[in-house]
Amino acid sequence: MRYDIRHTTVYDWGADVPAADCRIRLEPIDRPRQRVLATRLTIDPSPDLVREAADFFGNRVLATSFRLPHRRLAIRATATVEVDPPPALDPDPTPPFETIRERATTARGLGPHDPVQFLFPSRSVELSPNVTRWTAESFPSGRTILAGALDLTRRIRRGFAYAPGTTDVATPLAVAFAERRGVCQDFAHVMIAGLRGLGLPAAYVGGYLRTVPPPGEKRLEGADAMHAWVEVWCGEPIGWLGFDPTNGIVAAEDHIVVAVGRDYADAAPISGVLVSAGAQTLSVAVDVIADAEVATPA
Amino acid sequence: MQLELAMRWGGDADPGVAALIGRYRAVPGVHDEMIDHAGRVRPHWRPLLAGLAALGPRETTARFSGADRYLADSGVVYRVYGEGGDVDRPWPIAHLPTVLPHDDWTRLAEGVVQRARLFEAVIADLTGEARLVADGAVPAAIVAGSPEFLRPLAGIAPPGGRHLHVYAADVGRAPDGRWWVLADRTQAPSGLGYAIENRIALSRALPELFDRLGVERLGPFFQALRTGLGRTAEGEPARVALFTPGPWNETYFEHAFLARSLGFELVEGGDLVASETGVALRTIAGPEPIDVLLRRVDADFVDPLELNPGSRLGVPGLLQAVRAGRVTVANALGSGLVEAPALTGYLPGLARRLLGEDLNLPNVATWWCGEPAARAHVAAELDRLALVPAFGRSLPGILDSAGILGSRLSPAERDRFLAKLERRGVDFVGREPLRLSTAPVWENGRPVPRPYSIRIFVARTAEGWVAMPGGLARFSEREDVRFLSMQRGGRSGDVWVLGSAPATRSEARLLPEASIATIRRADGSLPARAADNLYWFGRYLERTETTLRALRRLDRDGDGVDETTPDLARRIARQLVVWGAVAAEPVPADLVGEALWGAGPGAVASLVGEVHRTAAIVRDRLSPDVWRLVVACRDRLRDPAPHRRRAPFAEIEATLATIAAIVGHADETMSRRDGWRFLDLGRRVERAIALCRDARRVAAGAETGDDADLALDPADGGPALRLRRYAGVSRRLFLDLLLTDEADPRAVAFQIARIREHLAALPTGAPTIRGIPAEDLVAAIAARHAETSPDRLAVGRIDATESDLLALSDAVARRWFTAVAPAADSADDAPIAVAAAAAGE
Repeated sequence: MRYDIRHTTVYDWGADVPAADCRIRLEPIDRPRQRVLATRLTIDPSPDLVREAADFFGNRVLATSFRLPHRRLAIRATATVEVDPPPALDPDPTPPFETIRERATTARGLGPHDPVQFLFPSRSVELSPNVTRWTAESFPSGRTILAGALDLTRRIRRGFAYAPGTTDVATPLAVAFAERRGVCQDFAHVMIAGLRGLGLPAAYVGGYLRTVPPPGEKRLEGADAMHAWVEVWCGEPIGWLGFDPTNGIVAAEDHIVVAVGRDYADAAPISGVLVSAGAQTLSVAVDVIADAEVATPA
Repeated sequence: MQLELAMRWGGDADPGVAALIGRYRAVPGVHDEMIDHAGRVRPHWRPLLAGLAALGPRETTARFSGADRYLADSGVVYRVYGEGGDVDRPWPIAHLPTVLPHDDWTRLAEGVVQRARLFEAVIADLTGEARLVADGAVPAAIVAGSPEFLRPLAGIAPPGGRHLHVYAADVGRAPDGRWWVLADRTQAPSGLGYAIENRIALSRALPELFDRLGVERLGPFFQALRTGLGRTAEGEPARVALFTPGPWNETYFEHAFLARSLGFELVEGGDLVASETGVALRTIAGPEPIDVLLRRVDADFVDPLELNPGSRLGVPGLLQAVRAGRVTVANALGSGLVEAPALTGYLPGLARRLLGEDLNLPNVATWWCGEPAARAHVAAELDRLALVPAFGRSLPGILDSAGILGSRLSPAERDRFLAKLERRGVDFVGREPLRLSTAPVWENGRPVPRPYSIRIFVARTAEGWVAMPGGLARFSEREDVRFLSMQRGGRSGDVWVLGSAPATRSEARLLPEASIATIRRADGSLPARAADNLYWFGRYLERTETTLRALRRLDRDGDGVDETTPDLARRIARQLVVWGAVAAEPVPADLVGEALWGAGPGAVASLVGEVHRTAAIVRDRLSPDVWRLVVACRDRLRDPAPHRRRAPFAEIEATLATIAAIVGHADETMSRRDGWRFLDLGRRVERAIALCRDARRVAAGAETGDDADLALDPADGGPALRLRRYAGVSRRLFLDLLLTDEADPRAVAFQIARIREHLAALPTGAPTIRGIPAEDLVAAIAARHAETSPDRLAVGRIDATESDLLALSDAVARRWFTAVAPAADSADDAPIAVAAAAAGE
């Protein structure tokens, strides 16, 4: 499937910001099932310094510096991306989760996509004995990693309330877990914390969902903003598989990846440092249009 | 008894020594530094003990009290975080130095240097190509799991390729007398400053013994450290700054002390700007490049852009400067990687592989439970091992950083830990508990044994690694030798390494004269943040004084020169509301108490709090006396005893006296450079504004003397009284003097003249982008007051001057303090992280 994506973010600080440094991670990346055909970033005001680079995990980062006073910052990202459907996994070809744990721990790779990078607590994902205990119910002894991860994905979907506005990017996952509610990045963080608590590698994925569902299907939650889900390492040769706990499904052709990391902090679309006395207001608009006529053959 | 003693001390028993240590008993089964297993004094301790015995117990105790006094007088403190606020505690010293024979020391130092070489090679590999991981010599999880593995810098080599510049090892002696390494400090080893202060204190307390024993001096090490850091990778002289988290850090004293001793600028994140072009210190004369940052900030906090976004200690863009090779960070960011206990068990193999050598100093036996075989071993032997977090940091809700002894676990706890080992063995190491050796500390006039370890420091120089001969001994307060967790509150001590050739060393005198004092502070420009805080230090001092003077006049029982009328009292009360010293509503029952100790932003306690806060930031530029007075003033107001609460006017007098002492001391001790100018500028601006407001009230008021009364403090004596006499006669004449008398330190014109002098003498600073330059403003004020037109004393004119003064303060801030959160009046302006677009909303 081919998608046209438009994503506009506007910050209004109410007072002059004398200088700012922003790191923008809004351009989707090429991945095994995903090809980026075109991307474009428009930034207003124009930054005084711009440097593009890949971060440790291979995400595209635009480092920008603003050296003149401004009170508004608008970032508009457009992209055209092709996504292939994932391979069918029936019957379940994955090993028991205990095997995954042993392989992940003893693997020799230190590369950006090696499982060992996604095994430990990270900035937004503290490990919590409570979350681990809860997650362990999805992983009775000998269960395959795929079956366990899918069960966990569905339990989060069933057991947590999707409640925009009740949490923000700074909400600790322990709070979202205790209250059993939040938005996609909370669910992703809870799932990641639970899996890592069991010694299983789990990554955070930031990206988009198609806005208008295919005919006859329900519109997915989180389609009008950036979305977040989880990838779980299922051992070679399968590698990483995506699970969307917000919707209780496997990430497939409707999920477009922008950035991957250990948690939100690694994949944040916009982060930075500025001096501001005013209160910040933020507005975000996302459109993800599936281009049905040029749909790629499955 | 006599016979037994004679047998114990052998033939050369010194009765004084015998009396001194007669009750000293080593803990069975552990090594003691001072006496051997048979209870005999080890030979290298005999000269020290004989010397102390000759002094006698009373004199010895007096000498040690002198050491305590030295440390207290030098302001040697460490900061304790706790409930009810942080407090500075005196630095506790163990008094008795720990004596090491030269040969023993040499072997120890060689072992620590070997370790520094090993770690350098390991860090270079793991943060670079990571061949050790690819080859299976180091498990990938030990690298990826460390919070010190800095992904934004993976693959980046520091300038000159060197990661470690200072390294420290904590060593302890096993029961068999061998030295073991307990912990490694590769990130930012602390303790050097305390070690040198301990040395100064003890060598002053026991000068004759220090000389007679030929104790190895520390001075040459500090020279070497300074020289080693003072060169860039290309061998050019480097501009070095010590990068501190700031005055609230527990070891800030040490940062300030080291910076002063080594002649490095002491900087915080807010002092620096960083980009691909390098790191610069923001000074009042513009940015000045920095080549080397001696780092005391943990890696995660150094750059909020790419590392911890919540950090307010860092410098946005520092990582870009590092990647561009434009700054040397010592130790390099990521050096903390090898502190992980998880790595310990691999070090002997790594030493053979990378250095072709066996480790001289063994580690405490350690098994990383991420490896199945090691995990099985730890699980089987849990009863005799300790479980410790694999990366040195506590595991929340599971295990704190000190770890736990397996033998102390209940059966249920044991099962829980075994389950955790199965799930996340990567987070744990099993470790042999070491029974530490003991060394004597001085307690109640005699030595007693305490478990101890020594932190040994080595520094990189052009000629290789150099060890500091001695170290920081740290003593556990508990006698339990099985498990040392060096909590705060334990004592530290000096380590005396006996010289190889004592006779040749008598020329060396005390350390400060011998070496430290020969290093001078680099005479760079004043950092902008220091200028900012000195300026506000001056303003708050003046504001405090103004408030106190007004309050004092409410004292009806006072034996003041002059009586306060009810009308004047009402005016003062109104003024206190305007200043924010008390609330307008409800009218406080105890006006004076509220204005003194209340929580209002203009209350004296709050103002003194600001005096303290700004002074703390520039503490290294103030004399110890000034700082002590500031602290005393703050403490006294912060928590007044009931009897003081009952006598507010006595408190007002006392505080006024302290403020005067602070101002006087600062004025008498600060060199007449830019720092002093900013302090004085702050005082002059604040006073000029206050005088303008007084003048305005008089100009706008009735033709009585009451308004003039408010503007005058009879306690000022001469000039004020003279003014007061005129005030009764002619408001115009009074105003004329208040505004235009350049000779009267309580006249506006006097302040304006001083401000002009300061502005003319200060460096040009940043070009003015917007607003009127400070000189133009002050020139406008001066011109206004020099006019002879009859309405020059009109309200409108006075208003214009006041608003020019406020603009002047802004202009000063823009020119010299720019691009950083102002130090005062806008505490909320600190940098904030952009809360990024929340996903999924």
